[in-house]
Amino acid sequence: MTSNGQNPSDQEILDRIGWSQIRANERKLQRKNFWVAFAFMLPAILLVSSLLLAPVAFNVYLSFTKWAKFKGIDQFAGIANYVRLGTNPFFADALYNTSIWVVASIVFPLAIGLALAVFLRGVPFENLFKNIIFIPRILAPTAVGVLWFYVYAPDGVVNRFLGFVTGGDVDIGWLYQENTVTPAIIATFVWQSVGLVMVLILLGLSAIPRDPIEAARIDGASSGQVFRHIVLPLLLPTLLVVTILSVLAGFTVFDLLWVMGASYPGQRTLSLAVFMYFEAFQKGSWAFGSAIAVIIGIVVFSVTWIQAVLQHRVDRMMR
Amino acid sequence: MKLKSLITATVTACLVTAGSLSASADDVELVHDKGFWSEALQKVGDSAGEKTGNKIIESAYSAPEQYKAFIQSSVASGDMPDMFTWWTGGIFAELVETGAIAELDGIWEELIASGDFDPSVRDFYKVGDHIYGVPLHLSRWIALYNKKQFEEAGISEPKTWDELMAAADKLKAAGFTPFHATTQDGWRGFIWFQEIMLRTDPEAYKGLHDGTVAYDSDAVRNAFKIWSDWYAKGYFSDPRSNEEAADFARGKGAIYLIGDWAIGLVEAAGMKADEEFGAFIMPNQDPALPSSVIIEGGPIVLSKAALDKPDVVNALKYFVSVDGANAWAAASGNALGNKNATPPNSVVAKVNADVDANGTLAFDRWWEAVPADIQGEAVAEFNRFMLDPTMETAESVMSNIQALNAEYWANR
Repeated sequence: MTSNGQNPSDQEILDRIGWSQIRANERKLQRKNFWVAFAFMLPAILLVSSLLLAPVAFNVYLSFTKWAKFKGIDQFAGIANYVRLGTNPFFADALYNTSIWVVASIVFPLAIGLALAVFLRGVPFENLFKNIIFIPRILAPTAVGVLWFYVYAPDGVVNRFLGFVTGGDVDIGWLYQENTVTPAIIATFVWQSVGLVMVLILLGLSAIPRDPIEAARIDGASSGQVFRHIVLPLLLPTLLVVTILSVLAGFTVFDLLWVMGASYPGQRTLSLAVFMYFEAFQKGSWAFGSAIAVIIGIVVFSVTWIQAVLQHRVDRMMR
Repeated sequence: MKLKSLITATVTACLVTAGSLSASADDVELVHDKGFWSEALQKVGDSAGEKTGNKIIESAYSAPEQYKAFIQSSVASGDMPDMFTWWTGGIFAELVETGAIAELDGIWEELIASGDFDPSVRDFYKVGDHIYGVPLHLSRWIALYNKKQFEEAGISEPKTWDELMAAADKLKAAGFTPFHATTQDGWRGFIWFQEIMLRTDPEAYKGLHDGTVAYDSDAVRNAFKIWSDWYAKGYFSDPRSNEEAADFARGKGAIYLIGDWAIGLVEAAGMKADEEFGAFIMPNQDPALPSSVIIEGGPIVLSKAALDKPDVVNALKYFVSVDGANAWAAASGNALGNKNATPPNSVVAKVNADVDANGTLAFDRWWEAVPADIQGEAVAEFNRFMLDPTMETAESVMSNIQALNAEYWANR
């Protein structure tokens, strides 16, 4: 109560405790904290800006220009490079093959990695098997490509094995035929990437609490039911992370296609990344290559954004 | 104390190593994309240092694609290497058109006056009225042949088209595969196409390079018919071989069409030059046509600014001199066209003699002669034909290449 018998207003109370001074001090501290934080972030900001954002921005700009060999940017070309994409006979094939890659790079590593992670848990020599499956991951993709190039050669291990099984001569040019080249290289990609997927899923499995599983078992749930209704939902966040990594790998795969597809006449159509390389580096069409890069970037960004939204929903569901 | 000694020794060793590796002011850098020749080029560079005082330091870039990008951007920025390698043909003209490359007319006058080079070699590096390069190597595209298989089939080097066909039949009858051709590394598809075109219609072959002859013309169709027919007769080896030179040495094909730079590769694969394999220039279908051979002549060029640097000019002159050519031949097994130099091997010496005896004309290799914008896609189409060598595929190949070709020339 004040001396005149009335309750003090909120403002009077705030003035009495020196609220405005407290706010001023807080703001000063926030400003100071901001600049301290900014100073710590500055190296990262500079690096990301100069080595990532600036090249990306320049690439986008380049895609709207005409590039002249030995001269550089010649003139502004509007959307001409993007229009040219629509009429280029190789672009549609490269886009189609890239979509196959993306689907395959999600489905196969995930399915096989999940199966391996589940079935390898608790088996004798578990660690030995895991290590063997993980070994291809530590090899350079180019080395893997060279190795499998010879595995798929007309007189390579695959044809010899098939010949042994069928009892006849098998002479399939796995890396020379349109209908076999992409599946063959995808199989190599899966062979190399499944180890990492398995390890990530194993980490996810180890983080799942035992209580709900034991409770379900006490209630009479079968192993299949436990997996489907408890393990799989709790594993969803991990599976989404694995999916994002797989999509990015599928979109940007280059080394394997470059090495293993070297003798395939349609090599430039094996993926958008390879098509971009051919246009930019082999033909010197930098602006057109930049337009392809922008398309790849838009598609990758869109897919990962959708996955991020899904991830957010799953996180909320888990809470 | 031990640690101190160790550090001192390490620092000293590093300084000594750095000192021995660093270039001196008189050294000249040769920038190139031929990493497989780095060691050989440096041997020539060392020899240049001993003989002229201007040591050449080879500087290898990675893949050709990145190298082209590097040179293009360095020309655009005006900060280009003094001396570097390039390619002949359309891509050479594009480089010269920038105005950044030095004219070498004066150097060529000396080279021809000394009798070291034939004037025809000079023309490979001519754009307009001036000369802009000297040869890094000058390789003839010849037919290497397996002497043992020829002997068993009872044949000798074919001098005419009919003899070539008869030789192929006899080789086939004797159980050998007459012709060796692969799609290895994706670039080899043009080899037999260019040869058949040159042997059947040399004017049309030249016309393909400047857009005056279409890839779906009768001359090209005729070449594809011959090519397809030879495949149908089983004349060719498996195009999927990934060990071309080694497979020739293993006897998988009796006649191997390739640049003479491959002689070293065949020898490395275990075949002895002259003793186990020889070489001949492919005959023309029409005996009335003059003898001709395809030449691959990778050039070394100078930047315009380098022409005012005596060290660089000296280094360039040494490279194409008799001493330089001999050092290059000994180090790499390649010839660079200096007539007074010793041929790198007896097979090249024999081809030199054939060329001199027959007044053989030189033609640009298809790869360099066609516009760079279409070469990659076109050669992929040739490879596609080799993997499915029917006339149906040939028609589609011709149509696809012509679409690219027409688009390119329409936009010039």
